[in-house]
Amino acid sequence: MFIKKFNKGIVYFLKMKWISIWKSNPPGMVLLLLSSAIALVMAIPILYVVYRSFFAGTDKWRRLIDGSIPGLLWNTISLTVIVMIFSVIIGVLLAWLIVRTDIPFKRTLKWLLALPLLVPPYVGAVTYIIFFGRSGWLQAAWTNNSFLSTLIGDYPVDIYSFWGVSFVLIMFTYPYVYLIVSASLKKMNRNYEEAAQSLGMNRFQIFRKVILPSLRPSIGAGAILVSLYVLSDFGAIAMMRYVTFTAAIYFQRTSFDTESAAVLSLVLIALTLIILWIESRSKKSNKYYQNSNSYRRPMVLKLGKWKWPATVFAIFIFTVSVVLPIMVLIYWSIIGIGMGAVNSRFFAYAFNSLRVATVVSVLCMLASMPVVYLKMRYPSVITRVIDRLSYAGYALPGVIVALGFVFVFNNFIPALYGTFYIVAIALIVRFLPQAMQSGESALSMLSPKIDEAARSLGYPPWKVMFKVVLPNMLPGVLAGGALVFVSSIKELPATLLLRPPGFDTLAIRIYVEASEAIYHLAAPAALLIIMVSIIPLKFMLDKY
Amino acid sequence: MKNMITKKISVMLILIMLFLVGCGNESEEVDTLVIYSNRNDRFVSNLLEKFTEDTGIEVSPLHGANPLQIVEEQNNVRADIFISNDLGALGYLHSQGLLKEAQVEGIDSIPSDFRSEDNSYFAISVRARGLIYNKDLISYEEMPKSNEDLLDSKWSDVENGYAITRGGNGGMIGHISALRYEWGDEKTSDWIQAIRENAAGIYQGHGDIRRAVGAGEHSFGLVNNYYFHQQLLETSNNNVGFVYLDQEDDQMGAIANAAGLGLVNNGPNGENALKFIEWVLLPENQVEFVGESLELLINSQYNANYPDVVQDQIVPFQDLKVQNMSITELGNYFEDTTALIEQSGLALDLR
Repeated sequence: MFIKKFNKGIVYFLKMKWISIWKSNPPGMVLLLLSSAIALVMAIPILYVVYRSFFAGTDKWRRLIDGSIPGLLWNTISLTVIVMIFSVIIGVLLAWLIVRTDIPFKRTLKWLLALPLLVPPYVGAVTYIIFFGRSGWLQAAWTNNSFLSTLIGDYPVDIYSFWGVSFVLIMFTYPYVYLIVSASLKKMNRNYEEAAQSLGMNRFQIFRKVILPSLRPSIGAGAILVSLYVLSDFGAIAMMRYVTFTAAIYFQRTSFDTESAAVLSLVLIALTLIILWIESRSKKSNKYYQNSNSYRRPMVLKLGKWKWPATVFAIFIFTVSVVLPIMVLIYWSIIGIGMGAVNSRFFAYAFNSLRVATVVSVLCMLASMPVVYLKMRYPSVITRVIDRLSYAGYALPGVIVALGFVFVFNNFIPALYGTFYIVAIALIVRFLPQAMQSGESALSMLSPKIDEAARSLGYPPWKVMFKVVLPNMLPGVLAGGALVFVSSIKELPATLLLRPPGFDTLAIRIYVEASEAIYHLAAPAALLIIMVSIIPLKFMLDKY
Repeated sequence: MKNMITKKISVMLILIMLFLVGCGNESEEVDTLVIYSNRNDRFVSNLLEKFTEDTGIEVSPLHGANPLQIVEEQNNVRADIFISNDLGALGYLHSQGLLKEAQVEGIDSIPSDFRSEDNSYFAISVRARGLIYNKDLISYEEMPKSNEDLLDSKWSDVENGYAITRGGNGGMIGHISALRYEWGDEKTSDWIQAIRENAAGIYQGHGDIRRAVGAGEHSFGLVNNYYFHQQLLETSNNNVGFVYLDQEDDQMGAIANAAGLGLVNNGPNGENALKFIEWVLLPENQVEFVGESLELLINSQYNANYPDVVQDQIVPFQDLKVQNMSITELGNYFEDTTALIEQSGLALDLR
């Protein structure tokens, strides 16, 4: 009797607790379970990598800490810092020139400067090797030019060096900073600058004391994107024969030292978390408010004698980061096509790429909807956990996601190991956050009042979801799907590690052929990937 | 109203199903064969396509496979055949019980030195280790002629230095295994340290080395002889020569290795695997196995087709002085060799 009462009490207590967690608005069970399941798939492989690294044994740990870890830390951190600094400088400078000055060809330059995003960095790296390499085009021109070779001596560029790698990554990551900073420069209010001017500040002081501080959040966001990218990059770095944690993990894995790979992954996860922690801290300490009521368009600065140097600078960046790679690719594609590179094998690779990208983008769109809906409409601690877990693949390199998948599937789900599905699921883990972000911004436009209105008309929640919410979310979700499509068609490390026999994609072929210096086979595939990326890039540019 | 919604849901479900079915079209009905290969896929692709043409059996190749993947997947076997550049790797798999006896027609054409006793693995083409050199930078007379020579630090002073591969490269592992057989571990370790310190460039693979030497980025590089043959075919940067190491009477002879294949135990398509082995043993297919690699055939009487420039430079395997270790012995050294390489300071994978 007492026990029964006691039990009832507990149930009641739990129920109240449950309802209070959800602030008296608990979601439907189906929605919750679905979201939780998606979040678990996202997180388990990564947790498993961490778990495996703990059981690698002290010997392994000691050997790695004495051996490769210090060098890798130095390689990785120095590269990340240098690329971040230069990407920020170039990105901010270009954004400021385009948005706030009377630089000529403004409209054209504005989107030309975002185009490096089209070129996957590993493709960019290959083209730079062809152009700047020790037996590249520039070297040939250099040695044929007696003036240069007698005046300066031997060809001075070593692309396979720290600065070579940095240069490649800077050229293909600065647009992250450029786009985000451009967007916030456009929104900036003129009033603050005028106030500063009235206090007697000159242009430089205004830039330093007014513009720059208010750009700090967006510069920070861009810098975080750049550094997360550098930490996770595999293809470009492997092409450049430089070794960071990501590359080392990949190579340890391909020589089947899985324990070392797990240990190195743990260090890389720690590095990533540190960066994210710095970001969240800097967000907290920097808050700037814009007053929207008195918004006036920012003033446009006259460049005067700086006009031409500025234009030359912008065109130079565009030429090096877009024109040069595409020219190299076209050159080698023509040779390749002449030699029959676009054959049935090529089409098979293209079909595989297409298939994986389609499946992944469709499934990402489907999976993003419940998670996003739960997050936006039922905020709570539980939702936050689900949301964070779903983002796990976003911050972490594909190599680690793949490693987790190899462990989990080979040991526990052998039926799926080495199949097409495992590649697809890994890519979903990587790119679901992209679909979620688009979905979120779409849903945030839709007031919960509309849901409530539908509910008050007697619709059950699931009907509201299908009749009201989804149709309104759809454009955003589709846009997210487009983004996922492009990301998965060029994804390299996870596909390399997980692909089943007989399943090669364009990205893999580019990597394989280019690392053997068979450029005529790599170039047509690279061009195709770039062409496919144009549409989603257009979409992204419209957003900024 | 309700109907509409059910309809929508079912349309969605059908769409999902379609996609899932779309990805699952590797149905079991087609006759298939799964081949893991760690040879450069250009050397293998034509061979596999010819097999499909001749027999109608579809091949799913996994190029760039590491032999240890067979070990890792032993509870979940996916490969039927493992094609290897290095007989040591096959020997190692055999010693782990991962290969299966193959009594097939045509196996007698392979000399017994080049196959295991139970024929679970065997070689078809051979290569010898040696030094490719750039004739614009260094002459044959100036070149080192033996493995022992490379212990000398003076080779770090040749113009633009010389090149080696990373420690984990299959050819390098075979080379060092053979040195261990000949010299023992201590001297071999000295040798590894010497080349690591004196080499000017450490590369991922031999393709990088032949290109770099051809372009004059290094005076010479340690490669397999067929990379020399490949470089001769380049339209430029082809002024290269080759030194077969240790050819004097009192020397150990060139270190040879072989490419071949093994039958994986419990592979999913066992019958097709046997068909493949019998097929590949046919003389015309042994020739095809050499493919674009420009290696030497064990059965040189089958006449691999080389372009003229290469044919002039071919040294038939029978004419080479080769180290007296049986190639099938390599497998006994496979595992410990990588450990020795790392201990001696040459990274397996980090370049």
